[in-house]
Amino acid sequence: MGGAVRNRNGWQRVVVEGAAILKGMAVTLRHLFRPPVTVQYPEERPRIAGRFKGRHWLTLYADGTERCVGCELCVIVCPSQAIYVKAAENTPDHRVSRGERYAEDFQINMLRCIFCGFCEEACPTGAIVLGRDFELADYRREALIYTKSMLQEPYPGASGRDPNREV
Amino acid sequence: MSTVTLTIDGRTVTVPKGTTVYHAARQLGIEIPVFCYHDRMPPLGACRMCFVQVEKMPRLQTSCTLEAQEGMVVWTESAEVVEARRAILEFLLINHPLDCPICDKGGECPLQDNTFKYGPGASRFVEPKRHFPKAIRLSPVLTLDRERCILCWRCTRFGEVVAGDHALKGHDRGYRTHIDTPPVTLERPSKFIGNTIAICPVGALTSAVYRFRARPWDNRPTPGVCTHCGVGCATWVDARGGEVVRVRAREKPEVNDIWLCDLGFFGYDYTNHPERLKVPYVREGGVLREATWDEALERVARALVRAAPRVGALGGERLTVEEAYLLGRLFRSLGSNHLDARADSRFAPSPRDWAWGAGPFEALDTAPGVFLVGCDLSEDYPVLWLRLKRALDRGAVGLAVAPKRLEVDGYLRCAVVHGYGGEADVLYAVARLVAERKGSVPGLLREVDVDASCRRAGVPREAVEYLAQCLVAAGPVLFAVGRLSWDGPEPERTLAAVQTLRAVSGGDLWLLRGKGNAVGAVLAGLAPDTLPGLVPLEDPGARERLRRLWGFEPPQAPGLGTPAMLEAAAAGELRVLYVAGADPARDFPDGSLWQRARAGLELLVVTELFWTETARQADVVLPALSSFERPGTVVNLEGRPQRIAPSRMGPPGARADGDILQLLGERLGRPVDYGSVEAVWEELRRAAPGLELDRPYPFNRPQPEVDVRPARPLEAEEGLVVVPASPLFRKGEMSARCRGLPDLAGSPVVGVHAQDAAALGLMDGAEVEVDVGATSARVRVAVTDAVLPGHLLVPVGFPEFPRARWAASGRLLRAHLRVLEPVGRESR
Repeated sequence: MGGAVRNRNGWQRVVVEGAAILKGMAVTLRHLFRPPVTVQYPEERPRIAGRFKGRHWLTLYADGTERCVGCELCVIVCPSQAIYVKAAENTPDHRVSRGERYAEDFQINMLRCIFCGFCEEACPTGAIVLGRDFELADYRREALIYTKSMLQEPYPGASGRDPNREV
Repeated sequence: MSTVTLTIDGRTVTVPKGTTVYHAARQLGIEIPVFCYHDRMPPLGACRMCFVQVEKMPRLQTSCTLEAQEGMVVWTESAEVVEARRAILEFLLINHPLDCPICDKGGECPLQDNTFKYGPGASRFVEPKRHFPKAIRLSPVLTLDRERCILCWRCTRFGEVVAGDHALKGHDRGYRTHIDTPPVTLERPSKFIGNTIAICPVGALTSAVYRFRARPWDNRPTPGVCTHCGVGCATWVDARGGEVVRVRAREKPEVNDIWLCDLGFFGYDYTNHPERLKVPYVREGGVLREATWDEALERVARALVRAAPRVGALGGERLTVEEAYLLGRLFRSLGSNHLDARADSRFAPSPRDWAWGAGPFEALDTAPGVFLVGCDLSEDYPVLWLRLKRALDRGAVGLAVAPKRLEVDGYLRCAVVHGYGGEADVLYAVARLVAERKGSVPGLLREVDVDASCRRAGVPREAVEYLAQCLVAAGPVLFAVGRLSWDGPEPERTLAAVQTLRAVSGGDLWLLRGKGNAVGAVLAGLAPDTLPGLVPLEDPGARERLRRLWGFEPPQAPGLGTPAMLEAAAAGELRVLYVAGADPARDFPDGSLWQRARAGLELLVVTELFWTETARQADVVLPALSSFERPGTVVNLEGRPQRIAPSRMGPPGARADGDILQLLGERLGRPVDYGSVEAVWEELRRAAPGLELDRPYPFNRPQPEVDVRPARPLEAEEGLVVVPASPLFRKGEMSARCRGLPDLAGSPVVGVHAQDAAALGLMDGAEVEVDVGATSARVRVAVTDAVLPGHLLVPVGFPEFPRARWAASGRLLRAHLRVLEPVGRESR
């Protein structure tokens, strides 16, 4: 068949290829009369898809203890090496998470993050979730290294994750 | 040796008779998973993970215990084997908590790895799991999680087979079986517990020091060499973000095999410590103030130029061998031979006659026996004890003569505890008896009166006779003279007695003394009367060699050793003293001499990591780098140079000793431009022929000769004779700054014989005030048979017992006890 295309003579080419151009122009023409999809951001807010991956939250259980146990699985899975975790040990007087271990320090470099969501998938306790917030711009690079206090949800369930869920 | 040929997975392999199927498979590159089997210990067959199928055998067989037989046909991947492994893993995981995310072993865990490779994807066990308390601190450095334990018995068998300290034991039966510490470990912490952490195939035993500080993938490992003692164990140093978080053993069969002692495992946190010196200090108007490097170096350089050649250098055990070489070269260029790396000893014989060091450690593997003379092997060189233990298990004879009972006494054929300073008497008596047994007593030995010697040493004649009998039966044993003798009142006489004994019984001689690179520093030239390579100062060939390398000849006149240097400083004849990584103010066993020397010095320069006693007394303090922070070569007791690589950056402002010496050389108008550490090493190799990477140095030992020296008359004095013994776990400037180690060291306890305790009205655990010299300390008493009556066992290396202030000048030290609390407040 390829041979047939190459062997077309001049008139045959005009007809076949002209039809293709007309077909494409028809699509363009059709869209010309549809309403535009451009969103007038920031005056107008975009519609966010249900599974959108935005900024990260470190979530809490309903009793206020942290889900994160500082296991660093997110660190090792992260393809852009954006996460830094330093673990510490819970003591009876200073209980931060369930179990023995918690994240004393947790940082995500938002300049490096590619929002792939691997960290959320790797997390054994469901501590880290990617939320819907995408407005992360800043004037200073340092401000884009999110620290633990910035990542932690302000109250259990604030990120949208059910605080009563086990994992 | 006869061999057998067998077939494994269709491939034929020929192995020596007695090889297990597991090892035969390994030889073919076939991997069989194991948990309980460890190739440094005999097989046990507890975990059942290594199942293989053997044709004509009814059931699956454990390959680690099964001896290969001629014509055996083995299958390691048959359906039955695969199913058995899945089942074993399912069983092992029934009660395992699967808390890998919070487990320190996660990421380097054989249970995790094997489950991934061979295990079932899911468990059918829905019942509640067995629970134990989590994270039990078994010791200041050891955490046990019994839920994770799979009862492979590696740790308990390590204590039985390898270390001999029985630090961990199985308790209880069946379902409740668990690992715990027997009472002996509570009394005396194990010195090798780090190894059980390393060989634990699950996360049951983890380090309390490393706990949660990093995961395996965070760590950047660099090869290092432990410098806490002189054995020079090869290590991996794991650093995370510029912090050393863990030290592991690096396999080196010639030195440490795969083991480390706990000082090596846990003695790293000092390098991360915030109290590290970060800026130079100079003394101005009587006080030390911060200064710039320019200012501090200028002051040192000016003082050196003004005082040369009346300048000296001390220390070297914490330098690399290259830095020691540079230090020697710099001071020789100033016309001074006043160099000594042995800064913590009064006994400074010429290193060409009595070079500290050992033959190859591997000699232990074939020696018919070992004779420890004042050598507390497990406290001073613990990893060497593991090698000796292996030799004793093989049938070598262990003999010992020491002023205290050694921890490893139980493994020795005969161990004699004598009165302090009596080892020479015991050795002469043994020599006489051995000669008698062999039928010819050399003339000089006839002077030795066995009964009188035994009386002087406080040892029954029967013990000495048995010792002689064992020695004759053993043949030419290896004599290891240790620190208890070097530090004793008459080290020269002890060495003469060892030589005499060697002359009648035969055998090699090891002189075990010095930490870190101490032997290497002497080899590199930090000795007053030898040039690099232990060559005599006047040797024309060596002088010519150095003239070609250096462009000048080393000065002719022999220099002064440490004690003589301090005497000269006290007399005002030595003006400047450069102390490189040593603390003579605390370690030199004659503090009053040090004080006079300090007062007589125009300038005392110290390169240090912390504010040590010497640093506080110095005129210029230069912040240096630790052995984790600089490249170079470290030489162990065998004279074996091993490379180290920096695993972290030092504190900003601190500099490596080698760099300090180079900068100083520039200021002194004697620039020595080396592009790299390797360039220094290459020059040192040419200066000291025989020094080769990873080869033991061929030390010359004096030929044994009969040399009977008269005993010194006994002093009749009041009080108990002090037996200073340095335990492995101390509270020195460095070890006190390592997490876990101060707790292992505990508070010092003095040992009193039961007779003296009864006379003083003391019970075990009593509190007393001990006066030694001008010092006094409140400590607890242990009633013990570790020393003879009339003696007091005093642990050195604790701030309570500042040895430098005892002022021992060759006499026996006496201690006086005042009882504060005759019965211990808490019974132990």
